Amino acid sequence: MGSPHRVRALPGGARLVTESMPERHSTSVVFMFAGGSRLEDERLAGVSHFIEHLYFKGTRRRPSSKEIADAIEGVGGFINASTDKELTAYWARVPSEHTELGLDVLFDIVANSRLDPADVERERMVILEELRMYQDQPQDYVQNLFEELIWPGHPLGRDIAGTEESVSRLSRDDILEYADARYRLPNLVIGAAGSLDDDDTLALVSKGLSLREGLDGVLAALPPSPLDGPRVLIRRRETEQAHICLGARAFSYLHPDRYALDLLNTVLGEGMSSRLFLNIRERLGLAYDVHSFTQKHRDTGYLGVYIGVDPKKAVDAVNAAMAELRSLGESEVSADELARAKEFTKGRLRLELETTNGVAFWLTYQEVLLGEIKSIEEELALVDAVTAADVKRVADELLSGTMQMSVIGPFSRDSAFRLAIGA
Amino acid sequence: MAGGPAANRIRKAIALVNSVADEAGDEEVTPTEIAEAIRDCLELSEVDEVPNVRRYLGEALDAVSDGMPADFVAMTLYAALGALREGGQN
Repeated sequence: MGSPHRVRALPGGARLVTESMPERHSTSVVFMFAGGSRLEDERLAGVSHFIEHLYFKGTRRRPSSKEIADAIEGVGGFINASTDKELTAYWARVPSEHTELGLDVLFDIVANSRLDPADVERERMVILEELRMYQDQPQDYVQNLFEELIWPGHPLGRDIAGTEESVSRLSRDDILEYADARYRLPNLVIGAAGSLDDDDTLALVSKGLSLREGLDGVLAALPPSPLDGPRVLIRRRETEQAHICLGARAFSYLHPDRYALDLLNTVLGEGMSSRLFLNIRERLGLAYDVHSFTQKHRDTGYLGVYIGVDPKKAVDAVNAAMAELRSLGESEVSADELARAKEFTKGRLRLELETTNGVAFWLTYQEVLLGEIKSIEEELALVDAVTAADVKRVADELLSGTMQMSVIGPFSRDSAFRLAIGA
Repeated sequence: MAGGPAANRIRKAIALVNSVADEAGDEEVTPTEIAEAIRDCLELSEVDEVPNVRRYLGEALDAVSDGMPADFVAMTLYAALGALREGGQN
């Protein structure tokens, strides 16, 4: 990273975060709106994602998706967007001399999109296909099912893109109303990183800022209810492999033990030197793909394990994964294993921050979700401060929670799976 | 790898089930033969020394009685074998 970042207040409650990286040739600009799919009720499920798609269909100045793409690709840049559960981001990466163009296109799509009725109908078909395609990818779909178990009946447990029912039902008026309520200045953080001047960027941003102030119809993000007990959800499919996700609720991104959780996850199942990989794949030969992962939100999160396995070995592999989880709660990781996990975590973060895009996202994400920005040095120090006792304590705490497991494969009953996780 | 008498009997039962699943072998293996092989496992006190082994074997026996696919029976037997392994019955 280059010089320290700067945070500036913009009119209407928006904020600008910049970091000058003078040695780079590009600038990345991110428009990040607090919100995302967790604020949607069941009727509006998928509306944030729908809006994100529609914003690339045309604006008053650039009436088609081609003209939007041409504007950025014409200078060799990239433009894209993503909807998450707690935020929606639009971004562009351009050669630095075209920073003004990048900002102009992003301002244009978030403030002047046409939302043409014919585009709404065309995009509805695209999203419905996207939802169906997703269900044909069991490795991904099993994680969706797992999230349904982790946050039952809660928007966090739903697919970001909504359901076929909700997407089919959303009207153009629903979309306009929701966009008008969410795409307001207090919800917006603009991040920019690259070969830029902080003051020049502030001037460019101030010139383009035309969203409305204030917030109408803001929905409160309700916390998920406690889980009743361990559950297994099976989707019977005649697949060659069984796809399994198991895990338990864990910590939010505000929790003081989140760094210990990340290190636990690294030791358990990140990479080819993790315990799950070495024991379940290399030693026992039970599964081709086995790894662990975390997800963190404002008030909740989870630690999950994915296993792709021969159906005959499915329960055996689950038992072996449970044994690895239990061992983390029974004894402390060795000093060597902890040191390797720390270097892995710190190295991944440094690599992520090599690009202007990585830095712009890192800064903007923190400002939107945490309301403050830690430097990389502060973040690395928090990773370094985690002890083996912290990791063991976190493992203990997670294992005392109720395990959840989703399975896709040729299974017609769940009794053996329930036995494996004590459900 | 689990290597006690229980593990050996479970492996024998798995081999029988797999021969049905893979449609291998000259002679047809009947559900009765498979059930008998599982009952042989259940007779050993060793299966009570490790949590869940008896329960997995019981599930496997139920699956045979219920006419469940051979792959499912095999999966439950592998789970019993794995439980022995995790329980340190080497």
